[in-house]
Amino acid sequence: MSIVLVGVNHKSAPIEVRERLAFTDEACSTGLRTLVDGEIVREGLIVSTCNRVEVLVETGRLADTTDRITQFLSRSDYLPRAFFETHLYQHTDHEAVRHLFRVTSSLDSMVVGEPQVLGQVRRAYSMALEAGTAGRILNRLVHHAFRVAKRVRSETGIGANAVSISYMAVELGKKIFNSLAGRTALLVGAGEMAELSARHLVNAGVSRVLLANRTEAPAERLARELGGEAVKFDLLPSHLVEADIVICSTAADHYVITEQMARQALSKRRNRPSFFIDISVPRNIDPAVGKIPNVFVFDIDDLESVISSNIREREREAERAELIVESEIMQFQQALRVLDIGPTIGALRNKLHDIARLEMARQRNRLGPLTAEQEKAVEALLVSTVNKISHPLLSHMRRSSDASDAETIQAWRDIFGLEE
Amino acid sequence: MSVASARYRERFCKRRVSDSEWATLPRPRSSTRITSSALITMRSLLLAVLAAYVVAAIHAVLAFLNKRRTLQRVSDWSAAAGFLLHTAALIADWAIYGHYPLFYLRETLSFLAWTLVASYALVVYRYRARPLGSFTLPLVSLLIFLAIIIRPPIQDSAEKSVLSASWLFPVHTTLLFFAYAAFFVVFLASIMYLLQERELKLKTFSAIFHRLPSLTTVNEIATSSAAIGLTLLTVGIATGMVWASSRDGRLWHNDPKEIFAALTWILYLLLILYRSTARWRGRRAAWMGVAGFGLVLFTFFGARLMGGYHVFG
Repeated sequence: MSIVLVGVNHKSAPIEVRERLAFTDEACSTGLRTLVDGEIVREGLIVSTCNRVEVLVETGRLADTTDRITQFLSRSDYLPRAFFETHLYQHTDHEAVRHLFRVTSSLDSMVVGEPQVLGQVRRAYSMALEAGTAGRILNRLVHHAFRVAKRVRSETGIGANAVSISYMAVELGKKIFNSLAGRTALLVGAGEMAELSARHLVNAGVSRVLLANRTEAPAERLARELGGEAVKFDLLPSHLVEADIVICSTAADHYVITEQMARQALSKRRNRPSFFIDISVPRNIDPAVGKIPNVFVFDIDDLESVISSNIREREREAERAELIVESEIMQFQQALRVLDIGPTIGALRNKLHDIARLEMARQRNRLGPLTAEQEKAVEALLVSTVNKISHPLLSHMRRSSDASDAETIQAWRDIFGLEE
Repeated sequence: MSVASARYRERFCKRRVSDSEWATLPRPRSSTRITSSALITMRSLLLAVLAAYVVAAIHAVLAFLNKRRTLQRVSDWSAAAGFLLHTAALIADWAIYGHYPLFYLRETLSFLAWTLVASYALVVYRYRARPLGSFTLPLVSLLIFLAIIIRPPIQDSAEKSVLSASWLFPVHTTLLFFAYAAFFVVFLASIMYLLQERELKLKTFSAIFHRLPSLTTVNEIATSSAAIGLTLLTVGIATGMVWASSRDGRLWHNDPKEIFAALTWILYLLLILYRSTARWRGRRAAWMGVAGFGLVLFTFFGARLMGGYHVFG
């Protein structure tokens, strides 16, 4: 019994290769059925995302497995092997488990700590379940991987700090206002980045979104999409009073928000803090605004530098996450060893047959001379007795193993004094 | 008169004493009756309190640095256990010494620690601002440690009988101690405000930035604790005046503690007025919260060194 993982990711292969190897959902379900033949490959799972294509299998014949998966990835030689073979990595057992754990914990992601990959693996697993190709080992492995991901997320700060500009607005907003519920955001200019930030803000609980754009049509369209209100661009100073968070992204080549405007708004707001994000180049908010007390201004460079320090912070946390992964691999392998009942069944059979043989040898003299036929009959009698007695025992053991009931299996081992 | 107390009289006077003679003898002071076993119980109780607080403090600091929920839970529970034991210790102290446990320095330190833990619990309950614990709990541990190593005083009965005579003594002191604790919360919240405000302005974030409560939260904590502290301080000073006038007819003695308490009162009044003129004052109000606490410390410890009417902590 071995676990093998073969695949490519954003580090090992360029996009040209990844896109050819990728599976659509349908291709994935049909592919799983051809991949899992019950002989070489007993269980299988395909993770296919924009950053990785990976095939994870449980196999009884390790030697042929890689070739079989490569063949599978080439779509039965439709893709020339030379095209992708050099980009493939291949992990076995211990290494394969580590790789999967690192993937689900988002340690192998392009941006460390981004959680999307967990959902993608979850999806891949449910497709394998549907196709009936996830069995005893993969079930256990994938569930363990989810657990590792959860542990990493809660025990390290790997996903803690924002690493995208659009999410930065939410994070800094929360840092200033505690909760975004009941706050008002004002979008000046209806650019794509502003739109994305606004979406994040709405998801985080901002209750009112105002949109001001020089031409009104885009503002109205966006207002409809976000459930916000389009407001007149000329009335900007009065809207600044209402806005707790202002995101500025116009194409103007001058300061749209001046220091004087911000000061007036602040005093009308009775000094309540306000948070300005300027993602336009050239800048639309006078840098002097940032000097006003209780007003916080972040321009694109500020955001970028915070992001890069957050990424460094995540990488530091990733080191702690690696330790968690290592300890979980050990736990998983231990659990797997317990569940792997092949050797136990063999040992139990041998033991029972040994007992029968031994008893036979002790009593053989009393039987006197027997014909060869009789000799065979006695032998067969013993064998079938032992088999009949052990049959319900062994099938119970197999059921426990299928149900991942490690305790019962261990109990059997203890009763018969078998080693693991 | 019971047999037991007759035996007690005999032991106390080292001879047989009749009922009528006993009535004329001076009463034995409570201090002479404190048994060593009671003292040992007290001491071990305080040591248990210290242990619980130290565990809570260490886990709070680690939880603050590492952001682990399990560590925080350990901290919460041991702080709660410490607080219960501490309450028991204060009650035991009161029962054994027979006066409100706010008289000698040892007692005041322990009581101050108790009010700090109580206010920390309130802040956590109201604002979930647990990072406060990683600053409060170490200080609390230190105070308890000092309370343990300071030797129990030789009882000065005359002074005590004066102080414990009036019900105003416990009220006056308890109110003021809670006021001090509230001002400590203002101080911590102000420091957290200033740190974060500075980092937001400079746009460089240190590792602890992300672990501190938001600006709005610390601002609210500072504002409401300042209001609570000022209320307590006002009533505390008022009861002190009533008490003083009942003793010698004077409301004011020009003693350093009184003067500094008055200055503290004025400063926090200004702080609250300043904050309420515009809802949010941020930086400057935070600086006042820090400065105010300096004055509180001086009122508490500094005035003690100068002597005067207020003889105790």
